[in-house]
Amino acid sequence: MKGTNLGELEELVLLTVGILYPDAYGVAVMDEIEKQARRSLNISAVHAVLTRLEEKGLLKSKMSDPTDERGGRRKRIFLLTALGKRALEEANEMRTQLFNQIPKVALQFRIA
Amino acid sequence: MEEIQGDAHELYARTAAKNKRLADWTFVWNVIRFFRWKNISKRTINPPVMIKSYLVVGFRNAIRNGMTSFINVAGLTLGVAGSMTVFIFADQFFHTDSEKENLDRVFEVTNIINRANQRVTLSDTPILLGPAMQDDNPAIEVSTRIEAGSGYVRYNDLVFNEKIWYVDPSFFRVFTFQFEEGDDRALASRKNVVIAKPVAVRYFGFDEAVGKALSIKFNNNRTEEFTVAGVIDPPAGNTLHFNILLSMDVFFDLKLKDQYDWSYLTDATFLLLKEGHQIEEVMPGMERYKKFQNESSPEWMIEEFKFYSFADLTSEGYKIESYMAGPGPAQGVIALLIISTLLLLLACFNYMKISVATIATRLKENGIRKVIGSNKREIMVQFVTENILMCAISIALGLLISYLLFMPGLVSLLGYEVPFAFSSGWSMTCFFVALLVAVVLFSGVYPAVYVSRFQPVTILKGKEKFGQKNLFSRGLLTAQFTLAFTTIVGCFVFIDNAYYLQNKDWGYDHHQHLVVPVNSTEQFLKLRDAASSRKSILSFAGSTTHMGYWCPRASFEQGGQKIEVLPLRVGFDYLETMGLRLTQGRFFDKTIQSDRVESVIVNEKFVTAMGWANPVGQTFEYDGFRRNVIGVVKDFHYQDFYQAILPVLFTIDNDYNFRYLVMKVEGGQVNQTGDWLRETWKKIAPDDPYEGILQDDAFINFNKNNRMEIKFLSFVTGMALLLACLGLFGLVSYNITRKLKEFSLRKIFGATASQIFRIMNRDYVWILSVAFLVGAPAGYFLIDVLIRITYVDPQPAGVQPFLVAIGLVFATVFFTVATQLKRVLRENPSTTLRSE
Repeated sequence: MKGTNLGELEELVLLTVGILYPDAYGVAVMDEIEKQARRSLNISAVHAVLTRLEEKGLLKSKMSDPTDERGGRRKRIFLLTALGKRALEEANEMRTQLFNQIPKVALQFRIA
Repeated sequence: MEEIQGDAHELYARTAAKNKRLADWTFVWNVIRFFRWKNISKRTINPPVMIKSYLVVGFRNAIRNGMTSFINVAGLTLGVAGSMTVFIFADQFFHTDSEKENLDRVFEVTNIINRANQRVTLSDTPILLGPAMQDDNPAIEVSTRIEAGSGYVRYNDLVFNEKIWYVDPSFFRVFTFQFEEGDDRALASRKNVVIAKPVAVRYFGFDEAVGKALSIKFNNNRTEEFTVAGVIDPPAGNTLHFNILLSMDVFFDLKLKDQYDWSYLTDATFLLLKEGHQIEEVMPGMERYKKFQNESSPEWMIEEFKFYSFADLTSEGYKIESYMAGPGPAQGVIALLIISTLLLLLACFNYMKISVATIATRLKENGIRKVIGSNKREIMVQFVTENILMCAISIALGLLISYLLFMPGLVSLLGYEVPFAFSSGWSMTCFFVALLVAVVLFSGVYPAVYVSRFQPVTILKGKEKFGQKNLFSRGLLTAQFTLAFTTIVGCFVFIDNAYYLQNKDWGYDHHQHLVVPVNSTEQFLKLRDAASSRKSILSFAGSTTHMGYWCPRASFEQGGQKIEVLPLRVGFDYLETMGLRLTQGRFFDKTIQSDRVESVIVNEKFVTAMGWANPVGQTFEYDGFRRNVIGVVKDFHYQDFYQAILPVLFTIDNDYNFRYLVMKVEGGQVNQTGDWLRETWKKIAPDDPYEGILQDDAFINFNKNNRMEIKFLSFVTGMALLLACLGLFGLVSYNITRKLKEFSLRKIFGATASQIFRIMNRDYVWILSVAFLVGAPAGYFLIDVLIRITYVDPQPAGVQPFLVAIGLVFATVFFTVATQLKRVLRENPSTTLRSE
């Protein structure tokens, strides 16, 4: 198994998959990230990250039922796993923890 | 894949609604971006774990089918061992002299002459050529000549007749040798001698040789003292077979000729080019030397000089007549390579066949594997892994057998040492990689591909009809037995011929004959007097030439045609003593004066060559005299059977020319008389070694070769037969295991042993018949051509080889099947038929 710590993009994708529950698939994730974070990603990059997260066990996937859209092709729907949920919580917790440790002074900007 | 296509399609549809062109481009761009390794490569389960499981399963299966696995591995091991031995032998053969430095800059100069409208390459070149080229041509660093001779070499009481090479001191610059004692300046002084290690051991044992004095008596009866200045232990691949090296100056001082000009040919000339120079730079200057040589010896016109790079001598050296370096003709080695490849192929066929048959019992395993989710590739990987394991074991065992059994066997057949090593790491790597790839490809991949194709449903339903009417497996068996028949018939034809030649009549009486070479008239006369007083010697005669040992050729003109003949100069009683068979006329008679000068006795070939109907009384001109034919003898073999018999003419020579005393000895007295001659010789010529020989030994080299061929081919035949039968055994035992139920049912309904035996054999009889019809004639024709090329007078092959081959193969097949039959008959039908 590869290392379990999350990269920045991975974290972003993981969060988005959580937001989009239960309809997270490639294009949806890409659109959501563009909308929320204003980051334009190529679809192939999104796929790569999703596969990587699945390998790490943070996501699981299943194929949706086929619809008339997409030339009748099914979507691969991604879902958070327990491990993925914990990874998000840990990342979130660590950020908050780190943020809280910043001395108040350092954050008081004033126009001189 | 589907989701990727879907996503791409969705994005396209979305953009296309706004801008068709943009959508096209984005689509292309996205598709290109999707080409990531992850997407292309299949996702597999962690392989090391699986490979371990494959190996375990393979190992368990191998143990379970103990007999067939054993046959598999044994057959392959034999094939590998054989081909490995031969490969090493051939590898050494084609990489001789590899330990010498600068080989790419060493060239041999050869003469090309026209002999009877054939271009012949000779290594003999003018003795002045080397130094002249060295002086004239800046591209040549140094040249060296080799003049071969012989002499009696004495150290205290030890005297032997030794081969001597006279060489230029630059010999050691051209050919780098490791000196055991001394160094490469050893030949700088003409009083020094360099000897090979075996010679040093012969004279000095294991004492230090350098500094010791050897006295050498040359052909002109001059004796000189030399100091040993160097000892060389020739490495295994060396093809410069010298015993004793002396300086060229010594040869000139011998003055065997009045002068050495361009007409005198030395045995070999080698050049060492300067670094960075090509042999093409030397070629233009050669016309001048050709003129020198042709002017000085008009009877020996050369067409051109040709250069052979020393590296090429290994493959082309045999083209040079009387070659001094290089390993000799390569045909034998190439034949060996072909034979060993065939044997390896046979072994691979076996393996392939038996693997396919074995898989029959593992169909369910495969079916379940597939149902659980293995794909075709994984099943292939599994079988290939198993096969690689088996092949690796076989190769390791083959290496061991080759080292412990085959190589020592080959060495004892050849009579000289072949090191068990490859000429270079490169050729070793090539060999093993090629071997593994060939063996695995041939014997491993096919079964794997074959079995991975099956549909799990049919397997698990038990519907898969497996190997019953398998054309491929039958084809293989047929091919294998065809090969076996080819080898067996071929070998038997050859062996038959070899035996025929071994027992062939020589055309004269050679049992009970002793021959003693003499060095002077005085020795001859003394020995003759001694022989005449010995009772056990029935008759004796002197001769200048002697059949079987020394018979130089000559040619003479007859009616504008050049006839190559063998003039044998002999004494009175020689023909009677040797037991030559007179067909017409009479032998030489001491009392008739003309017999000493003009009378000749010829053989039947001579009569045919001259086209005489009544040979006796015919006359012809030869060597300045008018010759009168007084008798004709039957053709006889004066040389081994590789050469055609030439026209022979006997003339009477003077006593003072005699070089041999031949004696016919009373039966059973040969050994005593030999010992007595040795003692007498010591009194007559204490300074010269006794070199008496048996006439029976005249063809000793030929007979040795012959016996070697017989032994070797018998071995090859045995191997081919063994491999084919191993294969058959494996297959039969498998088929019988599969059909055990059928046989049990037949037994219950009253089938007899012979009926079952007939059913078991039905298939194999057909296969063998086809194989025999194809293989036997193929082997016969191949070997027949080979024999016709090799021997001048081969025996026409009869039907025996075919009968022997059929007999042998059918007997072994019968035996193989019969042992299996016993198993079937002993089996109680109730045990086989009872359902689990």
